[in-house]
Amino acid sequence: MQVLFFAQLQDVTGCPSAELAVIEPLTLEQLWSVLIEIFPALQAYRPNVRLACNWEYAGPETFFNDEDEVALIPPVSGG
Amino acid sequence: MEIEIHLTQSPIPAKMTTPALGPSGAWLEFSGMVRDEENGQPISALEYEVYEEMAGREIRRLLESLAIKYSCLAARVIHRFGVVPAGETAIYVCVAARHRQEAIALLAEFMDRLKQDVPIWKRRALPIEAPGSAKKKSYAFRTTTQGHGARPSVSLDEARDRIHSVCQALPNIRVPLFAALGQTLRETVCASGDLPAHDLSTRDGYAILVSDSTKTFRVVDTIHAADWKPRSLQTGEAVRVATGATLPCPKLRVVMQEDVERDGDFITVLKEDRARNIRRCGEEIKKGKTILEAGLRLDAGKLALLAAAGCTRPLVSPRLNVTHFTTGDEIIPPDQTPGPGQIRDSNSILVRGLLQPFANGLEQTHLPENFEAAWARLDWSRIEALADDPCLRETLWPARVQRTTESTQLQPLPWVSSGGITSLASANALLRVPPDTTALDAGAEVEYLPAMGMLET
Repeated sequence: MQVLFFAQLQDVTGCPSAELAVIEPLTLEQLWSVLIEIFPALQAYRPNVRLACNWEYAGPETFFNDEDEVALIPPVSGG
Repeated sequence: MEIEIHLTQSPIPAKMTTPALGPSGAWLEFSGMVRDEENGQPISALEYEVYEEMAGREIRRLLESLAIKYSCLAARVIHRFGVVPAGETAIYVCVAARHRQEAIALLAEFMDRLKQDVPIWKRRALPIEAPGSAKKKSYAFRTTTQGHGARPSVSLDEARDRIHSVCQALPNIRVPLFAALGQTLRETVCASGDLPAHDLSTRDGYAILVSDSTKTFRVVDTIHAADWKPRSLQTGEAVRVATGATLPCPKLRVVMQEDVERDGDFITVLKEDRARNIRRCGEEIKKGKTILEAGLRLDAGKLALLAAAGCTRPLVSPRLNVTHFTTGDEIIPPDQTPGPGQIRDSNSILVRGLLQPFANGLEQTHLPENFEAAWARLDWSRIEALADDPCLRETLWPARVQRTTESTQLQPLPWVSSGGITSLASANALLRVPPDTTALDAGAEVEYLPAMGMLET
């Protein structure tokens, strides 16, 4: 599973993306737990960060599979 | 509603074409520009970051939902990303509708919701170089007025316009990559396939199924970097792989050889590691994605990228056939020793060097001071544009430009007048000294032209 970090999250994790090995589909809660285990500094940003799965915003019912592209979207500021 | 969306790093053109839409009575355009200050601090630019694949989809979804709410005929959105200098447009939106109320309402709600949902960020503000230090340095610009008298003067833009008015651009051509160095790319190139084309291993080790949680595996095959050995893997099976090897099937991970113990045809995984150790198919470039945009000068790195993507005959501007005449009885060839009143010809080699990326053939001829012998060879219909022999109103001063992530700085070089040659050997820029300017302080904002073959990005 490829996980992309955008904007200030790249400074938090120290990298623009990470490649995870996911054995069975994860719920949103489970994925957050895995990410925070690898990058503990993400914990502070969690309340304001949305997850996206394959270019769509994820919700509590989303399952994340190994072949998905996941993105961590901090508050946006386009325009 | 017709929808058009572009995400680009190129400047957004000042003039947009208005599509012909019969029933539209209202045409609304909005440009969101980068202001020259942020949080009370002056800035030189904003850097925008974008999640390209998702931003396009979110903008489209947003416009489609607004189209239901406000019946408009068409909408076009262009959002620029990368470094956008202050004063330049970051987002351009235009809306066509039968009446102005729908267009205004759609635009207003679009801009509000863009700033909530669309994955684009103002990543950082770039500061202006702080003016003034303890010792203020000043540069004097003394240029000899050569009794121009009756000569008309033109601005740089006027000069360019007059030259363009008599020259048409030649049709673009396709050339092999080795002939494209320094040329301007005239088409936007998209990837014809994924790069990498398949999942690759980034380590020497053993490839196993991602879903496989057994500890001991049977090694069923070996794959070196150049091999193509597709096969499926079962639970409990592993394939020995080298760094760079193409993995035999998708959904694999690679366990590093340092983390296993090998015993004949079997391996035991000693250390659990979440790292997958692969480069994914399409990780660097996805099929269909833009690799290079039209308008870029092709340097060696860009040629390498085109080669990796299989674009071996890019469309570029053609090279020109150029004829260069020099005049002046005091000019002698550089290999001769000047007598009194004579100087060596340095202009010919200067022009040849500057034209080298653009010229196919360069013919250089020294004309005697009386032009009669050469008149028959010249195409006077094209020379008409400059027949009044104008001079530039501003002065172009040799300088050295240095770019850092924070600022671009220009160092003027010692130079007396257009006869000065020594500084050309250090110059990579021409500072545009405005007319009637005799001094500029250090820290002053100036405009410049790249020179001496310095490639603009």
